[in-house]
Amino acid sequence: VSGGMDEARLRAINDKYRIFNQLIDREMLEADDSSSFTFSAKDNLCTKEFQARAGSRILEGYRPPFDATPVRKLREAGGLLLGKTNMDEFGFGTFCTNSGFGIPLNPFDTGRACGGSSGGAAAAAALIDDHVALGVSTGGSISAPASFCGVYGLTPTYGRVSRYGLIDYGNSLDKVGLLSRSMADIKGLLPAISGADPKDPTSCTQPSLAISQRKIKRLALPKEAMANLSPEVESTFRGALDKLSGLGIEVDEVNMPSLRFAMPAYYILATTEASTNLARYCGMRFGVAERNVSQHFNDFFSGVRSECFGQEAKRRILLGTFCRMVGFRDKYYLKSLAVRQLITKEYRSVFADHDLIVTPTMPFVAPRFEEIAKMKPLEMYSADFLTIPPNLTGLPHLSVPCGYAPSMPVGMQFVAPHWDESSLISMGEEWESVFPLRTPEVAQ
Amino acid sequence: MKIGLEMHFQLPTKSKLFCSCSTEGADPNTQICPTCLGFPGSRPALNRKALEYGLMITKFLNCELNDRIWFSRKTYFYPDLPKNFQITMYESPLGEHGHYNLNGKRIGIWRVHIEEDPGRIKRVGKPGEEVSLIDYNRSGVPLVEIVSAPDMSSPAEARDFVAELLVELRHLVGLSASDEQVARCDANISVGEERVEVKNILGLKNLERALTYEVSRQTKMLAAGKVIVRETRAFDEERKVTMPARKKEMEEEYGYIGEPDLGEYNVGEFANSLVLPETPIKRAVRLQGQYGISAVTAKQIVITSWGLADLFEHLCEKIEPEKVVPKLLGPITSNWNAIEQRLDDNMRAQICRVIEDDINGTITDSEARRAIATIAEGGDHVAEDRTVVEDELVRSVNEFLDAHPGTVKDAKNNPKAANSVIGHVMKATQGKFQSKEIVEAVKKELEKRP
Repeated sequence: VSGGMDEARLRAINDKYRIFNQLIDREMLEADDSSSFTFSAKDNLCTKEFQARAGSRILEGYRPPFDATPVRKLREAGGLLLGKTNMDEFGFGTFCTNSGFGIPLNPFDTGRACGGSSGGAAAAAALIDDHVALGVSTGGSISAPASFCGVYGLTPTYGRVSRYGLIDYGNSLDKVGLLSRSMADIKGLLPAISGADPKDPTSCTQPSLAISQRKIKRLALPKEAMANLSPEVESTFRGALDKLSGLGIEVDEVNMPSLRFAMPAYYILATTEASTNLARYCGMRFGVAERNVSQHFNDFFSGVRSECFGQEAKRRILLGTFCRMVGFRDKYYLKSLAVRQLITKEYRSVFADHDLIVTPTMPFVAPRFEEIAKMKPLEMYSADFLTIPPNLTGLPHLSVPCGYAPSMPVGMQFVAPHWDESSLISMGEEWESVFPLRTPEVAQ
Repeated sequence: MKIGLEMHFQLPTKSKLFCSCSTEGADPNTQICPTCLGFPGSRPALNRKALEYGLMITKFLNCELNDRIWFSRKTYFYPDLPKNFQITMYESPLGEHGHYNLNGKRIGIWRVHIEEDPGRIKRVGKPGEEVSLIDYNRSGVPLVEIVSAPDMSSPAEARDFVAELLVELRHLVGLSASDEQVARCDANISVGEERVEVKNILGLKNLERALTYEVSRQTKMLAAGKVIVRETRAFDEERKVTMPARKKEMEEEYGYIGEPDLGEYNVGEFANSLVLPETPIKRAVRLQGQYGISAVTAKQIVITSWGLADLFEHLCEKIEPEKVVPKLLGPITSNWNAIEQRLDDNMRAQICRVIEDDINGTITDSEARRAIATIAEGGDHVAEDRTVVEDELVRSVNEFLDAHPGTVKDAKNNPKAANSVIGHVMKATQGKFQSKEIVEAVKKELEKRP
């Protein structure tokens, strides 16, 4: 059996942590003798053998007739797909608590969240040996759970990995990436999933990916990133900066004043695109069916959508629809597009004399579920203020575990220029060589 | 009266606008895939040929081309629209500010863009038990949308405009011949101040009917002192009237955003590289000017067949145009189907020779007609040796003279007696020879006899 994977153990882990909403058959797992590694796919990546529901009840029953390109490529690279990992509905969330099919529990403390929206993916990476998880990031959905679950999470440049077969959240923002306990897996499999795919035109303008070892010498730390951090994250992160100095890496403080516009611009663009992407879910053609078809289609559509979309999905549809309506479109949607250009420009000027940008990944460690229940939407959205800027601008970024406070992982995020995943991998490998990673004990 | 049109024509690509499904009609819901059904995870990829056709039409309509273009999502909920948004073009159409010359009148073209067609809804079942069935074969078929300025001033002119445009576009990009029935138009029409939009008019006949109805309706209203309100109406084909349509979303309420999956395209270079062929109406205008023929004749030649116009121009290299026209529109057009199938350089040369002979008087009109019919069927006119033909005349004369020795004797004394010989030969050779030739042959053969 590939990777020494034991079906009983996999099932036990899943029962405990609710990582997967669909798992490979026992027979298939045990019959496998050709795979060299196991992988999982976030529920919004289409695969032929499982339903693809993107964490939404409205897609109940949708089994795609095709494999997403990154899934196909990992199979071709010798991977065995274990199952579909839980996620916030359509990627709408920071904690993976907006899932229609099970909320994953943090590998380091089951009373806490995994982070989102690729929460199941991060938990799988943390808990399953020799495993690589396919995650998807729109505004930080790989970095956030990687940080909370203490694993490495790479979000490639927008357009590096084909989105064919990815169920859309915000098409100009969505990126498929990898989460793992090991940088070697990420380094080894990133080239496998990358490359031009005629089925996703936005992947066809990329320069080729050349990964080579390079010494990272100079990092930029935006001052704006150090505001609003929890004390334990701030001190852990400062400790990590010292460690970087010890590696001979210089860290400059820089000003990036436009970063504060990233969050509103992101939420406007992401929800605007999402509100059109989610229009297709109306109880026809795929997903939930049955029901009374002897009514006006508007009533039929509204009925299905009211019943099957979760609260957060409805909130984002309303927000996004509002932002693209006449009178608001110029003020919000078009302005946000301009803000995106502005921030990209600011990043470019920082990269002119720095290899990478470094910040903490999340402003706090994985919160407890009861804390999350008390948060208002805006507080939740604000938690993404460090992960949103590189996502908004399509820059590749890597979250690495950088310490524990005291037992919960803290993440550190590196951002690189467009298409320079190679520098992130060099940095990640160097960090990995000096960082003592903790593997969570599988709770009984 | 002002009439402006928004026309939609299907572009004749083999595959759909954003996927590789065939555009050829087949059993319902057989030409479909995840992309044109809007399945989650599917994605559009632009059909280059559709873009090419769109750009050709844009250039043809003298539009200012947009160098950078992108697609937009037009969101509205309707069962025939798989994604509940249509991928179209909004801020950046292929081109704008163009114009078309309709019989000497300038018709403004506001914009040209391409977009995907939705599926087709069919109502079936007995009255009271009807159900809606949806065929998605049409979903994703490329359409070109052409929006004109309100520059037409009668329903007939609007119809002429669409009809002429179809002739041109058929030649330019190969629109199918059935487009007259399936051309989809929305028309804006104002008799007084306020305009009324009539949506979803199918075919040219209905376009003229709908507009004619609307003219009389608005005229009557104005005459009765009533106010025309701005509204959207639909044309009822059965009853041939327009009716107020359900209140559709105003244009701005579609909440347009860019289509991020397709990105932006710099099409300037591609557009410049496209060379437009001459189209029928433009050719007719050229023929009229270049060869000094009437507009009607020029149009008739070109509309009959592109090849006929080619032949006309070929013949005009050697023969005066006004002499070519009667031959062209006579014996050549009547045999055109056969000629067109076999037309090559050799046949062109033969036809040219026949017409020259005819004009020079070396053969008769009826001989020319027959020669062309022979040529049309693949026979060889040039090979018909003139000496052999003349032998036939001599033989025919002598046959008669041999059979009528009395006539020979009479003719020796009275030249008028030869007339009966001439009449007979003329009949026997069925107009193959000119009377002058026959007279000479008879005279010559009579002289040979003692």
